[in-house]
Amino acid sequence: MQTLATLRPGETGTIMLLDEGTYTCKLLNLGLLPKSRVTMIRRSPFGGAYYVKLERHQLAVREEEAGTIIIEKTK
Amino acid sequence: MTEVKTIHIGLVGNPNSGKSSLFNYLTGLRQNVSNFPGVTVEKKTGDFYLDNGNMAEVIDLPGLYSLYPNSAEEKIVVNLLVAPNGLPKPDLILYVADATQLERHLLLATQIADYGYPLIFVLNMADLVEQNGGTISENALAGYLGVPVVKVSVRNGTNLNELTGLINKHTTREPVTSDRALYTMSDPEKGVADTLMGHLPVTNRYQALVIAHHHEWVEGLSTDDRLRISKLCVEAGFHSLKLQVRETLSRYDHYDEVMREVVKSNRRAQLTLTDKIDGVITHKFLGPLIFFIIMFFVFQAIYTWSAFPMDMIEMAFAKAGAWLQGLFPGMWWADLLANGILAGLGGVLVFVPQIAILFLLLSVLEESGYMSRVVFMFDSIMQKFGMNGRSMVALISSGACAIPAIMSTRTISSQKERLITILVSPLISCSARLPVYAVLVGFAVPDEKWLGLFNLQGMAFMGLYMLGIMGALAAALFFRFILRTTSGSYLMMELPDYKPPIWKNVFISVWEKVMSFVAGAGKIIMIISLVLWFLASFGPGDRMSKAEELVRAEALTLGTAEEETNHKVAAARLESSWIGHMGKVLEPTIRPLGFDWKIGIALITSFAAREVFVGTMATIYSIGATDDEKTIRERMAAEVWPGTSDKVYTRATSFALLVFYVFAMQCMSTLAIVRKETGTWKWPVVQFVFMGVLAYFGAMLVQVMVG
Repeated sequence: MQTLATLRPGETGTIMLLDEGTYTCKLLNLGLLPKSRVTMIRRSPFGGAYYVKLERHQLAVREEEAGTIIIEKTK
Repeated sequence: MTEVKTIHIGLVGNPNSGKSSLFNYLTGLRQNVSNFPGVTVEKKTGDFYLDNGNMAEVIDLPGLYSLYPNSAEEKIVVNLLVAPNGLPKPDLILYVADATQLERHLLLATQIADYGYPLIFVLNMADLVEQNGGTISENALAGYLGVPVVKVSVRNGTNLNELTGLINKHTTREPVTSDRALYTMSDPEKGVADTLMGHLPVTNRYQALVIAHHHEWVEGLSTDDRLRISKLCVEAGFHSLKLQVRETLSRYDHYDEVMREVVKSNRRAQLTLTDKIDGVITHKFLGPLIFFIIMFFVFQAIYTWSAFPMDMIEMAFAKAGAWLQGLFPGMWWADLLANGILAGLGGVLVFVPQIAILFLLLSVLEESGYMSRVVFMFDSIMQKFGMNGRSMVALISSGACAIPAIMSTRTISSQKERLITILVSPLISCSARLPVYAVLVGFAVPDEKWLGLFNLQGMAFMGLYMLGIMGALAAALFFRFILRTTSGSYLMMELPDYKPPIWKNVFISVWEKVMSFVAGAGKIIMIISLVLWFLASFGPGDRMSKAEELVRAEALTLGTAEEETNHKVAAARLESSWIGHMGKVLEPTIRPLGFDWKIGIALITSFAAREVFVGTMATIYSIGATDDEKTIRERMAAEVWPGTSDKVYTRATSFALLVFYVFAMQCMSTLAIVRKETGTWKWPVVQFVFMGVLAYFGAMLVQVMVG
């Protein structure tokens, strides 16, 4: 199973669903919605967090937060 | 004359929507910063007159994504909007949205519309979409939301008249309440909401639903209410978290269609300027390097840019004091004016340049979007120290003042991370320590350039700040391991597009911080300055005059010169004054650090606020000296231990004193705010003790090693 956390920098995927948890609403509020396309841009300098890009905006998410977002990698 | 009505307006919107810029535009400097009752989340209010003569009072609520909050700060906003506690609610909400991010910003708008608040939808930054050849139909949006929509650009000031026109109209007619709901509830939601409608002071089903979700913490419910709602939710199969997700997704389902009608954009996914900048700014190696270069520049700027205005202010007050005393020689009230009031006032105003420069630079970094990159880059490191990327911003703000920094920790959701950030923030050198550093560094470090480029004193400053930062991190690590772990922590946040700062926002922020320093800390400094003058000018019984007689008699037999006698008289009088006695009681305790009783006095008075140190020194020495135009530094250099020719301010003592000030918790206001934030005296006491221990032994170590 691919999650946002398994994407490598430069790779893009489509969000399939979110593993329901305490912060699901927060992720949705930030635009991480099912069917939206998300690109992994880079890891933070000291690791632990990702810089990801959606269609019109950028987000910072931690590794474990990204791990709850199930995606299908765009070939 | 007709009665002036006041309409209460709430500014609501997601973070980065331009909400605060609109607030600054509407109210200008007619602002008032206070706290929400019982908590220390900043409550910014301001007012302005409407064309129809009525008054609009605006409250700028902290950024919010949804009526289902995660952080403590978000909960306070939601509580203000929905709590059935009988407190007045806004009469009108201005919902500010970023047109370039419209889809996401619709969520909270539709929730607030469903809640039944009279609403004006302010579509900010519409010009940015239109610049790229897109179009936005405010009519289509108004049709969907059922509320007026107005396109504006707060940055360029366009169309804001139309907005104030709409606010005008609102006051002249009754708000229309509509039963139209944009969200279709599921059966458990309907069931719970319908049952509650009979029991709660709500006017529609959605209000009841939101209160059902938040019944555990929202204000205005009795314990019975809470129990009853809990039971009701269990019976109805009302799973709050799942239903919040359902509601959010269901609302978003409509937005695709809405967006197709509202926005015609031909913006393609392409490499934007922000992408390019972040390629460098958040780069694995360059990112942290750039951060430290920026911080280095900030502190160099504080030190070099402020030198000239500070010298001017210092000189003006010294001249005025000397002139006054020359005009009325020997008059006690002239002495009070010059050494009490003028010295105190000068001691306050002299730091305004430094505070202004620091906040100018910090608010430019914040406004441009750089600060959120700092959070992103340092999150994992901060986590190692038991904190959160957001703690980095709090720690940086502590460079100005620990009080707003501690207040800013409300955005940290994890209780443990927040507590650690609160506990260690005051170890970061704040602006109140600057004056102490300035005096002592200027005294102990030569004013020379290193490699002909960097000021040595500036470097010493950097070193002191580094010491504070290291102390904070070490303490954080310590607390990380001794504090029991609790609730979850998160990072997820937006990295907004870079944009040039709006100078009005920067200016207002600088103004606000300077005024709060002058009015807040300044008042204390002024009072302490007067109390000190009194304590130093009077003593128990007739000991002061006796001490003077003794010195004069001795001088007569020895035949010392008049000037030297006067010096000795002044010193003897001070030693036998009230304050001299206080310092002497303390002296045995601080002697191992190389401090005498005069420094002891300064340590006592510093508890009101650290910057008082300089004022205290000025008062002590200007009273102790005959020549008022001598600067504090020169006076300190001349200071010897009584009866010897050993200097008090050796390098070891100066550095020990600096280290003491880096670590010691000498700020009553910070302790008060920590008490307020943590809700118990336990943490301020812990903080006071651990910082005191660090300061005492740190200073002792320096005295032993350098001395």
